[in-house]
Amino acid sequence: MSIQVTDLSKSFGDPPHKVLHEMSFEIKNGEYVSIWGRSGSGKTTLLYILSTLDSPTTGQILIDGKNPNTMSVQEIHDFRNHSIGFIFQFHYLLSELTALENILLPVRKTGEHEALQDRALEMMSLFGLKGLEHRLPSQLSGGEQQRVAIARALIRRPRYLFADEPTGNLDSKNGEIVMALLKEANQTWGTSIVLVTHERTYAQQAHRRIELIDGRLASHDAQISL
Amino acid sequence: MLFLAFRHLISRKKQTFFILLGVTLGTMVYIFVSGMQLGLREFIIEQLVENDAHLKVSGREEWIEPPAMAEALFGPNKVVSWFVPPAGKRDEERILYPQGWIERLRRTPDVAAYSEQMVIQVIAAKGAVKSNATLVGVVPDRQRQVTIIEKYITDGRYTDIGQSGNRVVVGDGLLKKMGGRLGDTLLIGGTGSKPTPFKVAAVFHLGVQQFDDNFIYGALRDVQQLNGTPGRITHIAVRLYDVTQAASLANYLSVGAADKVQSWDQANQSFLQLFQIQDLFRIMITVGILVIAAFGIYNVLTIIVNQKRREIAILRSLGYTPREIMSLFLIQGLAIGVVGAFFGLGFGYGACRWLGIWGENFSGHFKLTISYEPSIYVTAFAMATLSSLVAGLIPAVAAGRMTPIDIIRQEG
Repeated sequence: MSIQVTDLSKSFGDPPHKVLHEMSFEIKNGEYVSIWGRSGSGKTTLLYILSTLDSPTTGQILIDGKNPNTMSVQEIHDFRNHSIGFIFQFHYLLSELTALENILLPVRKTGEHEALQDRALEMMSLFGLKGLEHRLPSQLSGGEQQRVAIARALIRRPRYLFADEPTGNLDSKNGEIVMALLKEANQTWGTSIVLVTHERTYAQQAHRRIELIDGRLASHDAQISL
Repeated sequence: MLFLAFRHLISRKKQTFFILLGVTLGTMVYIFVSGMQLGLREFIIEQLVENDAHLKVSGREEWIEPPAMAEALFGPNKVVSWFVPPAGKRDEERILYPQGWIERLRRTPDVAAYSEQMVIQVIAAKGAVKSNATLVGVVPDRQRQVTIIEKYITDGRYTDIGQSGNRVVVGDGLLKKMGGRLGDTLLIGGTGSKPTPFKVAAVFHLGVQQFDDNFIYGALRDVQQLNGTPGRITHIAVRLYDVTQAASLANYLSVGAADKVQSWDQANQSFLQLFQIQDLFRIMITVGILVIAAFGIYNVLTIIVNQKRREIAILRSLGYTPREIMSLFLIQGLAIGVVGAFFGLGFGYGACRWLGIWGENFSGHFKLTISYEPSIYVTAFAMATLSSLVAGLIPAVAAGRMTPIDIIRQEG
């Protein structure tokens, strides 16, 4: 179980402008990897390709041995629903749903929202959201909203969690809380985490750090044994 | 997706309410206008069909032609130049071989009943007041089997016409014009016959001015005698088991016949054309209202799809398929259509009931006919639902086509 990236590059526009240059690396199962670099270095583009939301221009990506680009629409959506969790810089909670309903959104698709309600409540308690179950996103603080978004990403205990600047909109206290939750998810449930950040201190909390400069793999730490 | 779709609708109460109102109004107006128009149509058709005949055999109208006149007056192969060529209708309208028709009608399985009639134009007088009228001579027992005029007798008894005895049933409009009432005597005279006294034995009110202000019914023998044409009839009124077969049977009976055979709808083409115009008008109004409502749904859903781009992105990243995203918005359009249609059906029915009650109270014994034909309600429901579905389809398809990465990139 791993994500294997081989000679991956990505271009945009006409004439094509390359934003990611041939890169190869591997993220192992249960690994906590941070992708670090300056703004415009291509880290978010790389994250979207790794998380199946986007596809590379050339090169290949294999997740658990499967190429997402050759999957059918149904397969790719099932894969996203069951194996992948997302955390974006903005929480992207559905404003009409309560905190609890937002957390249960991925499992509602498969009709498991009632069966997994206790798990959602446990997670809310673990994430310091107890008592906020029936509040709408507009009635929560920014930190609480992001914690609800993390709980939503983890409700299915996915194998992979992709986080795009999850602390970008938070103060340092709430940023620390979010980072602690990511670490706990990795340690408790063995979730592989790919974190995109431009903050060196948060990047250093990962097992391994991939640094991008102008779309090129500048350096990456040695793979640690898990 | 039902859960999410309803949450979307509930969270935008004001918008949802106003679109719902549009669909409800469209449906309600269709039901109300259709109920009124079709009710009026049912009433008119009932008057035409039930009070006259399903089909009628009448003497063919013959016209004077100069060549035929020349041959009759001067013999064959003569060249005649006319100062004023002869013209006009030939002789009186009459059925040439009534007995042959009666035999034929008896043998026709679709015919339920028939009644011989003598129809002439007369002048009715009471004192100094005179009025033109149409006098219909009938055999009362047979006429009762062909029409339901007896149902509309407001004073006296229809059967009092009898077989003879110069008694008549008069339309209330005509009687009112002449200042007469039940039991009075009218002087009735035809063209070339001297006025004869007839006693008003009953009064009818059909609710159709054409009949109520002009028609008088009397015994066939009395009318034949008044006209000086004993044994002659001008029409045979026929009732069928199935009124919808009237036109085809009329066409069948016309083949090779010297006389004219017309079904009720052939004889009243102008009414049917009026109905078609009414239909067109009704459909135009309703389509107009529903198009406005559909545009409301389209606009609101398009705005919502744009407002919810981030939500669409997150739903797609959570594994919701393009089809599920499409259904999320399609359900909203459809739900508005279905709920609006149901409200429209209820309010439309209520408005029709109210109009029916108001009409009854307003005009005394005359009841305003409102149609509650199920097809009106089915059509209204189908139109509202379909227009909402079509209106929701375009923004829903657009939402389904959005990819999460495009949305995220555009949203920055």
